[in-house]
Amino acid sequence: MNRKALAAIGAAAALSLTLAACGSGSGNAPDDEATESGPVDLSVAVWSMDQTPEFQALFDAFEAEYPDITITPVDILADDYPEKVTTMLAGGDTTDVLTMKTLTDYSRWAGRGQLEDVTDLVTDYPDGKLAGTDGYDQDGKFFAVPYRQDFWVLYYNKALFDAAGLDYPDHVTWDEYADLAQKLTGTDAAGQKVYGTYNHVWRSVTQAIAQAQNDGDLLSGDYGFLTDQYDLNVGLQKDGYALDYSTAKTQQVSYRTMFETQATAMMPMGTWYISGILQAKKDAKSTVEWGIAPMPQVDDGDTTTTFGGPTAFAVNKAAKNKDAAKKFLAFAASLKGAEAISAIGVVPALQSDDVTAAYFALEGMPTDDLSKEAFAPDDVALEMAPSDITADVDVILNEEHDLIMVGEKSVDDGIAAMESRVKQDVLD
Amino acid sequence: MAITAAPPTAPTASSAGSGTTGRQSRRNTLIGISFILPNFLGFALLTLVPVVAAFGLAFMEWDSYNPAEFVGLDNFQKMFGNDTFWIALRNTLYYGIGHVPLTLLCSLGLALVLNRKLRGVRFFRTAAFFPYVTSLVAVAVVWNMLFNPTMGPVNQLLTTLGVANPPGWTSSSDWAMPAVIITSVWRDMGYYMILFLAGLQTIPVEYYEAARVDGANAWQRFWHITLPTLRPTTFLVLILLTVGSFKVFDLIVVMTDGGPGRATLVLSQLIYREGIAQGEFGYASAISLVLFVIVLLVTVLQFRLGERRDR
Repeated sequence: MNRKALAAIGAAAALSLTLAACGSGSGNAPDDEATESGPVDLSVAVWSMDQTPEFQALFDAFEAEYPDITITPVDILADDYPEKVTTMLAGGDTTDVLTMKTLTDYSRWAGRGQLEDVTDLVTDYPDGKLAGTDGYDQDGKFFAVPYRQDFWVLYYNKALFDAAGLDYPDHVTWDEYADLAQKLTGTDAAGQKVYGTYNHVWRSVTQAIAQAQNDGDLLSGDYGFLTDQYDLNVGLQKDGYALDYSTAKTQQVSYRTMFETQATAMMPMGTWYISGILQAKKDAKSTVEWGIAPMPQVDDGDTTTTFGGPTAFAVNKAAKNKDAAKKFLAFAASLKGAEAISAIGVVPALQSDDVTAAYFALEGMPTDDLSKEAFAPDDVALEMAPSDITADVDVILNEEHDLIMVGEKSVDDGIAAMESRVKQDVLD
Repeated sequence: MAITAAPPTAPTASSAGSGTTGRQSRRNTLIGISFILPNFLGFALLTLVPVVAAFGLAFMEWDSYNPAEFVGLDNFQKMFGNDTFWIALRNTLYYGIGHVPLTLLCSLGLALVLNRKLRGVRFFRTAAFFPYVTSLVAVAVVWNMLFNPTMGPVNQLLTTLGVANPPGWTSSSDWAMPAVIITSVWRDMGYYMILFLAGLQTIPVEYYEAARVDGANAWQRFWHITLPTLRPTTFLVLILLTVGSFKVFDLIVVMTDGGPGRATLVLSQLIYREGIAQGEFGYASAISLVLFVIVLLVTVLQFRLGERRDR
């Protein structure tokens, strides 16, 4: 009996050791390259697929073009995406295609040598200009190909402007914008509070736009260029023309809800939200009559400077099907890929008159000239330049943004703290 | 995966008899070891090896992909010169000093109240335990709403009670940590109440009867019978609470995410940020090592004090 038990335990131990060995061994040795002739099963890491319909649209179009390649999505919760992929890559995961959610993640993974060099795919596209490639340039080499390019515009509620008897925000300055916010604040017929504008809690709402329009550099450690924008946004919430930051943050207010329930008349936000409104209107979840206008500017004039960021696909260095993965990257950046995603309201990286025309032909899109103008800004600056210090600076800027917006620190004190902390902890 | 085998050392073998040979006792030891082997293997593979590896990493620079590089004490030098680390350490201690005694008192109080023969005592016990089995994310979201500075019920109550400037709770640097501590006490007290209840049940009724005959009042009975006899339970609760409060992570992440600014940033959150989010696994391991040493020291100290009192 005892001997039997010992033998069983020994066997169990041996088994668990083998299992453990398998678990750790599979990581670093990618399976031999699959031959590309037969059917290929291509895995693609994406986030929150049910809320991000562009992925399915791209996959369907790609599978129609390449019938012998089947796509298996690896769906990851959007909030956890960067951490999850970092962990996957550290474990030697062999998922073929990785989506680059932010430039910061990209520069980190590319810097570690975890992505395949795809420079040959970035060069020439016959059907238009591929926007947003600059952010992926790593000393002349590219490790990802952008397929969508978002930038910030001013969303506004046409009905609320009409009711107040105001002109739509056509190329306004920040002063005019603040003025509009004041005039549009009030209560609607049902007694619901309506704010003139809504600033979401992200620091980019203040910092990235100030950087783009004042030639600032968020990595420099000198942040005097942020003062005016902070004064504006802090003033708006102090006067009650914008929902205050503390409430938005502690109640985890959704910017979509703010705009779709018509609780705000204006809202600076990225173009990714267009597909969201189209969907909400299609599902009859919202009755908002909306349009987009160019971002307000510092000075009067017709030039529009805004900020934005591309989204890209990259090939995992440990991928099993590298050839098929590269085909997917090229397809997503091509005219066919652009058509597939613009059909659901997503802004493709490939820019041409055809793409824009097709985009505004979508059902539910505003058709006025102002919206079309907003769609073609003169200059789109990067939200934050990718570099090895971006992530560290980001943490500090977020923390001090938080303190300024909840009113713990004055604008000047907050900016001084950003400068001293970035200089001390990151740049030195 | 590990099977938790009870490890009594060879209950079948007779230990009596002068003829017990060395072979016999070695055999017994082997059988004993074999009983704990499955559990130990799982522990060794899944816990011990990673922990030891993490300690090694504390002296290296590693991005999780390329080979690690030995950097000596650089990580520690960086840590001790970085005020974010000191703020996180101070916040962790602040949380512990608030959370441990308050939870201990509240759970003991609850256990004493619910140890009587009351009408509907089962209902109240369940109610007190309920927060512990509720999803933490839901708890944090609801408490965030309660603590809303302008529209939250907490501040509305305070205003009706005549407080002119109620605190800003999670949107204020000074009040964010108290808000988190209140939430954590509310959440944890039910669990430790169960431990205290179990302890209270083991106190023989005769003690109280004898004390009553001797004319001891309720306070004297509590002070001279209940508290001393509960000491093992109190000790266990204290250790669990201390270790738990040094490791606090989930509640803070969901409720304040370390904010506003760095007002509620704690060490385990800093470790997660530096390691998983920023990819500096060496530096994160160094902070973990420091956290481990602190928890170890505090626990050893508590054991020492506990032993001295038992003597």
